[in-house]
Amino acid sequence: MALAVAERVSFLYPGAAAPALRDVSVGLSPGQVTLVLGRSGSGKSTLLRAFAALIPHFHGGRFSGRVEVAGLDTRRHGPAALAGTVATLFQDPEDQVVFTRVLNEVAFGLENVGTPPSEIEARATSALAAVGAEHLAARLVTELSGGELQRVCLAATLALEPRLLLLDEPTSQLDPEAAEALVELAVALARERGTAVLMTEQRPALPLELCDRVLFLEDGSLAFDGPIAEARTWLAERHPVFVSAGGDVGVHLHHEGDVVARLDDVSFAYEDHLLVLDGAGLELRRGEVVALVGPNGSGKTTLAKLAAGLLEPLSGSVARVGRATYLSQDPGRYVFRDRADEEVAIGARGDLASARRALATVGLAGYEHRHPRDLSSGERERLALAAVLAPDPDLLILDEPTRGVDPERKEELARLLRADPSRAILVVTHDIAFAGAVADRVVSLAPERELAGV
Amino acid sequence: MRPVPAAVLLFGIAAAALLAERTASVAVLASVLLLVCLRAPGARRWPYLVGALGSAAALLLVTPFVERLPGVIYWTGPTIPVVGTLDVTSTELSGAVFNACRLAAVSLAFAAYALWLDHDRLVQAAGLARRSVLAVALATRLVPALERDAAGLVEALRGRGVEPEGLRGRARLVSPLLAGSLERSLNLAEAMDARGFGRAGATRMAQPPWGALDRLAVTGAVLAIVAGALWL
Repeated sequence: MALAVAERVSFLYPGAAAPALRDVSVGLSPGQVTLVLGRSGSGKSTLLRAFAALIPHFHGGRFSGRVEVAGLDTRRHGPAALAGTVATLFQDPEDQVVFTRVLNEVAFGLENVGTPPSEIEARATSALAAVGAEHLAARLVTELSGGELQRVCLAATLALEPRLLLLDEPTSQLDPEAAEALVELAVALARERGTAVLMTEQRPALPLELCDRVLFLEDGSLAFDGPIAEARTWLAERHPVFVSAGGDVGVHLHHEGDVVARLDDVSFAYEDHLLVLDGAGLELRRGEVVALVGPNGSGKTTLAKLAAGLLEPLSGSVARVGRATYLSQDPGRYVFRDRADEEVAIGARGDLASARRALATVGLAGYEHRHPRDLSSGERERLALAAVLAPDPDLLILDEPTRGVDPERKEELARLLRADPSRAILVVTHDIAFAGAVADRVVSLAPERELAGV
Repeated sequence: MRPVPAAVLLFGIAAAALLAERTASVAVLASVLLLVCLRAPGARRWPYLVGALGSAAALLLVTPFVERLPGVIYWTGPTIPVVGTLDVTSTELSGAVFNACRLAAVSLAFAAYALWLDHDRLVQAAGLARRSVLAVALATRLVPALERDAAGLVEALRGRGVEPEGLRGRARLVSPLLAGSLERSLNLAEAMDARGFGRAGATRMAQPPWGALDRLAVTGAVLAIVAGALWL
């Protein structure tokens, strides 16, 4: 018998032109891990929110159909009433943290649902241990890396021992090993405790090996619902990029272009004086795309910022030829102006013609007059890319450009970058499939802070 | 030490500094608090220390010029319309030192509170007023969140080769910062809702009982206030 059921659910966000969900019917069984796939904006997160009763209670909008979780109709029972039975891990961990200490943060949900006081600390500690974050219990959340924070937020959901676990792109900030551990943990929860797991993911390769069932959403409609074997066939026919493993990692093409940036024996430490990089070196040539990979906290972003000139090394040297631009991990940081073309023109000394060309390059022709905040998350990603392309840099550095980006869009991005021989491109990424698809050379930054060309 | 008795002790010391009448006593209290703050992690302590000591130094510098008290005249300056003749006297100087020490002590007590106390536990100890205290705690956390957002926005500009310099350059950060904090607060509200915040029957994580050190801190706070009022 299904633990949670959505029957003919349609939903329109307030002020939206088109429904986010259209007539979706799904049942979720205990012990089953269900993967929700689809392009950005196809309604994946909205479906999760419907099962958490956040839709319609928190967001308003027009809701029709019926969602029932553990016998509770979400039209009559709000998110707080479902908390504990349902637990949700949202996309951005920074926006869901309430307390300053990790242990208190994990305990917050337990306190809200009325867990006996004597049990709270033990359950919170146990949940932290389950995600390999027990050692973080006394730390300040502000001191954690994105990956560590994501694990803490996952622990906060697991501590509730929910019957339905909703994971919205839970691995977006995790390195491949941590991502694999998380997906395996979700599967183990389903197998051992009978938890129903509903998960969205933009790096579907691993979940496609471990999940039981796949839902595919297109423009808010359920285009596919079936077991994993059928899903593979269906995806291979209709959306092959969702089942392709990307390119061959490690392909090393020789480029004779001039050296655009060279980092020699660079070291760097932040204010706590712990070395993040120690004696690292990297050379980037015009016409090549280099992917920089490595586990969380290995110093990838630091190395990228050193290459871009945003940080100065403690020791060693950084030499650059021409102009470098750096795409931040957060596309929400490209919102200084009221029009997209003016925003993009900021880095091009106000040259609107260059800005419009850059917008067209990333597929945003016709969006010139739109306000950056009115764009969808995928469109914001593209706007941010246009903003760093418009200055026509000699060195283009992209920091996690595929976070939250669907596989089809990733393929477009890879094609765009591969077709650009006029500059050196450095891509920092956790997404090994994307690295393989886009890069001439993959550089792995090991925890020991040594660079090894692959 | 638990955060509530620690907060009471800091309050007691700050109150003693306000009640004390001798400059040396206030200076000793400020020095003790300065030592406490200096033991906090470097990256976190400097904004508080600069704020506390900077405002005390500003008070020390300005007070002799704006006060008009008799005493030995050390310096006579020009005559300014409305204000009159500027001078610095021994009484004005000693008053300035006293007030600067007082301000430093109170500011440093707040700095020690901000740097050392577990604010989460203060929220948990708030009992019936938990919702209000949690709102205050979240508002307090907004400041470092805004700092991080501002740093991120500056980085996004610098990543495009634009250096936000001067007042005008910084002013362009205001609008995206405000809009960003609104988005953040909505996301946080949604996450709190999903985690059952506001549900009836909430409990609190069990806290260890007060120890001898906690009782000593509260006693120390009372003694500090009494001493400040009667002897210091």
